[in-house]
Amino acid sequence: MLSLWRKTSAWLIVAVLFGFLLLVGCAPGAGTEETDSEGSEEESSSENSGEESGEVSGELEIQYFVGGYGDSWWKEVIGDFQEEYPDVTITEHAGPNINEEMRSRWVSDDPPDVVYIDGAGSSETQMVEDGQLMDLTDWMEGVELEDGTALSESFIVDPADYDGSVYSLPLVFDTWGTWYDNAWFEEKGWEVPKDFPGFMDTMGQIKDEEGIAPFVTTGQYPYYFLRGVLYPAFGAAGGDELLTDVIKGNEGAWTSDPVLDVMKKVEQMQAEGMIDDGFGALNHTQSQMNFLLHDNAFIPVGFWLPNEMANDTPDDFEYGFVPSPMQDEGEPYAIVPDLRPLAIAEKAENKEAAKAFVEFVFTKEYAKSFSEHTGAIMNLQGVDLSSSEEVPSFLIEANEMINDPEQVQIHQKPHPMSSELETPISNSLVSLMLGNITAEEFVEEAEKAAAEYRSSLE
Amino acid sequence: MEGGMGRLLSSHSFFHNHTEREGSVMVQSRRQRNLFLAFCLVPTFILFSVFTLYPLFNGLYYSFFEWSGASSLAEFVGFDNYRRLFSDEIIPRTILHDYFLVVTKVVGIMILSTFFAVALTQLKIKEAPFYRIVFFFPNIMSVVVIGILWMFIYNPSLGLVNSGLELIGLESWTKPWLGSEDWALPSLVLPSVWAGIGLFMLMLMGGISNISKSYYEAAEIDGATEWQQFWKVTLPLIWPQIKISILYIIITTLNGSFIIVQVMTKGGPNNSTHVMGSYLYEQAFVKYNFGYGATIGVMILILSLVTVLIMQFFMRREKVEY
Repeated sequence: MLSLWRKTSAWLIVAVLFGFLLLVGCAPGAGTEETDSEGSEEESSSENSGEESGEVSGELEIQYFVGGYGDSWWKEVIGDFQEEYPDVTITEHAGPNINEEMRSRWVSDDPPDVVYIDGAGSSETQMVEDGQLMDLTDWMEGVELEDGTALSESFIVDPADYDGSVYSLPLVFDTWGTWYDNAWFEEKGWEVPKDFPGFMDTMGQIKDEEGIAPFVTTGQYPYYFLRGVLYPAFGAAGGDELLTDVIKGNEGAWTSDPVLDVMKKVEQMQAEGMIDDGFGALNHTQSQMNFLLHDNAFIPVGFWLPNEMANDTPDDFEYGFVPSPMQDEGEPYAIVPDLRPLAIAEKAENKEAAKAFVEFVFTKEYAKSFSEHTGAIMNLQGVDLSSSEEVPSFLIEANEMINDPEQVQIHQKPHPMSSELETPISNSLVSLMLGNITAEEFVEEAEKAAAEYRSSLE
Repeated sequence: MEGGMGRLLSSHSFFHNHTEREGSVMVQSRRQRNLFLAFCLVPTFILFSVFTLYPLFNGLYYSFFEWSGASSLAEFVGFDNYRRLFSDEIIPRTILHDYFLVVTKVVGIMILSTFFAVALTQLKIKEAPFYRIVFFFPNIMSVVVIGILWMFIYNPSLGLVNSGLELIGLESWTKPWLGSEDWALPSLVLPSVWAGIGLFMLMLMGGISNISKSYYEAAEIDGATEWQQFWKVTLPLIWPQIKISILYIIITTLNGSFIIVQVMTKGGPNNSTHVMGSYLYEQAFVKYNFGYGATIGVMILILSLVTVLIMQFFMRREKVEY
């Protein structure tokens, strides 16, 4: 009897352990698999056949980041694409953390087919450096819009150039600028600044009248200030050439006179108490909340701000957008577009469908609906926004301003700055904006960071 | 529990009776015993290997590669990452920050939790259970929640700290706590200490309640003051608990201070709060230097080990029995 009990219990233990091991064995696999991907294992066979015959079928996996712009536009486009190509099974990988969630897929050389590169944890430069994106240079030449014009001729801003090759197509035309509350400014009679002296005047006035530090930004993500204020300032001071030198970290770029002049302006803003001294600890949401609560009057953010803060915006608040006024007196504003590209993975399993989708997206019709859905601009020329009632007024104004070279000069950066360079420069920048180092010390530190960055590329 | 043991023992003796009669069963019994041991040990060992040894050696392995962590491309670079570790100017700062947190946390937590433990056990306060719950409360809160909570407390314009200082007329003391290069790191100490007191207080209370009352009575008869009783009776007898608490604080700080830094300051402003863990995170996942991040991980492991060994050496003390 006892031995029987022992035997059964031994088997029980075996069974329990076996079950447990099974569970353990499954756990890592279950973690990496997307909940919304169905049968990602079988896709390879079906797609290979599609690729050979040039037909658009099989499974198409699309990865897109969902941030300030929401996902309603994506849902519309993907829905329309599905109707157009009923043979394609579309799997969407989307969400605010999608870049982290999909990382294991990219690492294991099993990436999605189409990727919209945006948001935290994504880096177009890194993906190109790692050879993860397909070279689109030749294919792009053959793509046309619905009215027959070549896609390559229709961009507002051309695709990022990596030594003559194109790896991504700029989809979202984003730009950074400085925001203010139009209603508040009108009520108080403050002038919207037209250049840096005007900027300082207005900020001085606000500081005196309201007793607040007029300018705020996020210190946890110092690149908001770098991209939103310094890039346009560099563009205004030295054009595309300086911008390229600075972003590539070329020798002597950061210690050059125009850069030092710009940094002196930042130093002056700090010294005169224009920059909120609490900015160092704020994340982007906190700084934006402070801005909405009139704790501050100016904030540099991209076009997505109104959409991102829609739920927290007071009723009487009216978003006003001006290209960051860092240029010298009498000069036009400068903006540096920030593009969010669409790309095809080098190791995509269904390149035909991926190409079809990318081609499908770039139309003026979707460009217009993009502005309606997101309050931002898609990177195509000649899209008439004023005819639509759903496009917010600041966007129509900004769109007109951007298209008027008298008022605004568009400067282009070659590609986004590598985080290898952006991180140390951002750190020194915070120090400068807290008043702990001088502009001269900042440019020395930035130049040193650039030298380290250059040596890391070798 | 005890019944189970008894059953096991009796089944054992039952076995022996059998073996005396049949020699072959003896062999089987040893086999079964080994099988039983294997059932107990093998799964543990497998789990340990999969979740501890494999990541450990994998991290070591990747520290010899240049790898972005986001692709399948990895290039073997030998000791390049280690050379870089020694020339990186931020590394010494992160180590310093870590040990600053270790020292301040050990001192802060041990003094306060010992004080509370003694107060709640010896002073016969009626509300002791209530205080025990209150002090333990932060321990059941996620560190992330604690971090966010304290971010609000430190908020320069709306926060409790600055408003409180203004209220008592100390406007000149108000600071953008977490936004200041000098004050951000010290500001992290308070939430870390606050979050840690409860657990160690309970541990020490357990130690104190094991001390026989007769020692205190004897000490009282000898004319020892409460203070003397604390130093001569309580402290030596709860030394094992204190020692474990200190080691535990050191280990968790070196490995885990990352969370509170990441939540509250992300290592900023200008690297002034980066600890080794948060710097590892930044290198591996923000700057796409996964290989270098793994190297920093190896450094954390070595430093933690060395620190714990040194501390054990210094804290070794004869076990006291009265």
